[in-house]
Amino acid sequence: MSGTLIIVLFAATLALTLWQFFKRGTGPVLFIKELRSFFLSPVAWVVLALVMLLNGFSFTSALTDLRAGDRTVTLAVYTFWSFPFWLAYFFIFPVITMRLFAEEQKLGTIETLLTAPVSTLQVLLSKYLAALTFYLVLWLPSMLNFLLFRINAPDSTAAIGSLQGSYTIIFLLGAFNIAIGCLASALTKNQLVAAMICFTFCLLHFLVGFVLQFVPVPEAFRGFADYISTHLHVRTFVDGLIDTRQIVYYISFAILLLTTTFHVLEFRKWKV
Amino acid sequence: MIQVSNLTKRYVGRTAVDQISFEVGQGEVVGFLGPNGAGKTTTIRILTGYLPASSGTASIAGFDVFRDSMEARRRIGYMPENVPLYEDMRVKEYLRFRAQLKGLRGRDVRKNVGEAMDLCGLTEMRSKMIGSLSKGYRQRVGLADALLHKPELLILDEPTNGLDPNQIRRVRELIKQLGLTHTILVSTHILSEVEMTCDRVIILDRGKVRACDTPANLVGRMRTARTISLELQAEAPLAIDKIKTLPGVKKVVKESIDENGWTRLTVRAESGRDVRESIALIAADNAWPLRELHAHKATLEDVFVEITQSEHSS
Repeated sequence: MSGTLIIVLFAATLALTLWQFFKRGTGPVLFIKELRSFFLSPVAWVVLALVMLLNGFSFTSALTDLRAGDRTVTLAVYTFWSFPFWLAYFFIFPVITMRLFAEEQKLGTIETLLTAPVSTLQVLLSKYLAALTFYLVLWLPSMLNFLLFRINAPDSTAAIGSLQGSYTIIFLLGAFNIAIGCLASALTKNQLVAAMICFTFCLLHFLVGFVLQFVPVPEAFRGFADYISTHLHVRTFVDGLIDTRQIVYYISFAILLLTTTFHVLEFRKWKV
Repeated sequence: MIQVSNLTKRYVGRTAVDQISFEVGQGEVVGFLGPNGAGKTTTIRILTGYLPASSGTASIAGFDVFRDSMEARRRIGYMPENVPLYEDMRVKEYLRFRAQLKGLRGRDVRKNVGEAMDLCGLTEMRSKMIGSLSKGYRQRVGLADALLHKPELLILDEPTNGLDPNQIRRVRELIKQLGLTHTILVSTHILSEVEMTCDRVIILDRGKVRACDTPANLVGRMRTARTISLELQAEAPLAIDKIKTLPGVKKVVKESIDENGWTRLTVRAESGRDVRESIALIAADNAWPLRELHAHKATLEDVFVEITQSEHSS
């Protein structure tokens, strides 16, 4: 009963937010501008190239390994549970989000932007969604690897469930970590500071369970840390187990972080 | 068009704007003057909805800037100080984006962007990257942006800041031209500009409105003593003594003497008294050749200095 109520409330809030975003078509105008500025900046192409390169490494090593003999793991595991993936994971988020608000605050364009008939919500959502879209585009080339594999080895172990799980967790991690990046970027004028805040928290969240193995903490806390630790979630999803607890966890935290960012942006409007 | 009453903005430990009230009528061009830190930009930011007021109200065309912020903003063309722009966009691209943000769609975007670029002389720069433009052109892009949606009210914060004299003249001409069809609130340091373009002046100092009148009235109301320059051929100490005895003269200062004995003096007289005639008579009585006698007119600059400095010293 209360579950239904929560879902209804969530859907209503989401609908209201989207209506606010699309009002007078301003949200999409901002979104397109943000997305364009991603693809017009050299940073985006460098990131895209590096992610493709790292995926290539994963793929090659997977093929070498799989050829060596019987393996129980799938290609998805090789791709998303590997050192190249982690490397990409750690630099993607700071690099694509550090610019979002910090640059506007540095240049002062935040003033021209927010004195136009545009709401803070529209600005926030357009930047967030543009970054998320760019992030998803980054992973499109990796699908080619799987496609190639499928074509060449029709009866292979490229299990479809494993792929679905992989891309679901990729999306969830994006939604969550880009929200961290938005908040970090809104907090400062300095892009480097924003990048460092974002990097630290993404890393911490990814490895929290792993790091705590070397630190004396109570057992209960260790369990909790393992529970929220991203690298374990990735493993579950890549194995093809889509766990709704994690879906709720990442989406609700993304919303919480975005709400915080919204209030950070609105802070100047607080009355003294 | 603009109504401000008892507007106050406090930052932590400092009151930037203190209980100010003023009005700007439809079609007026109003100059917003004041020394740095007087609260001009803060007031403008409140009017444009960027900052909230601590207390008091402000409305644009009847819309409260805080409660009906969107409606108020739709009616304002705002050019902030130092004209922040996206460096990595082209002029045309940027103006199109801004036009769409301001609610224009389809054919209107193309039309208004074209008109604004024409008006601000940007047409040949349309495909340039904003980052590569000179300061003068950046300023014009900012102005074109403010004009895009044909707002009823233009708020320009130091539009001539950092421009060269030719560019300042161009911007001034443009403001004059726009003043025929728009209500304009322009904040500036350049007083000659205000004298030439504005119907009315609001002088702000340390968060308070110190004066609000037409430039001519302000100059007319000047309380400072009149200053007279004269040049005559006489022995300086004697001339100074004689002129000092005249009724209404407050002070006589020797400026210079050249090799032919021409002495330059500056005389400060009480306000409302013209001592030029009596000086001329004294010169005639003593047979001093007199080749210059000039009363300086008070300028808006004098008014500005008097208002903003007498308060500081008192």
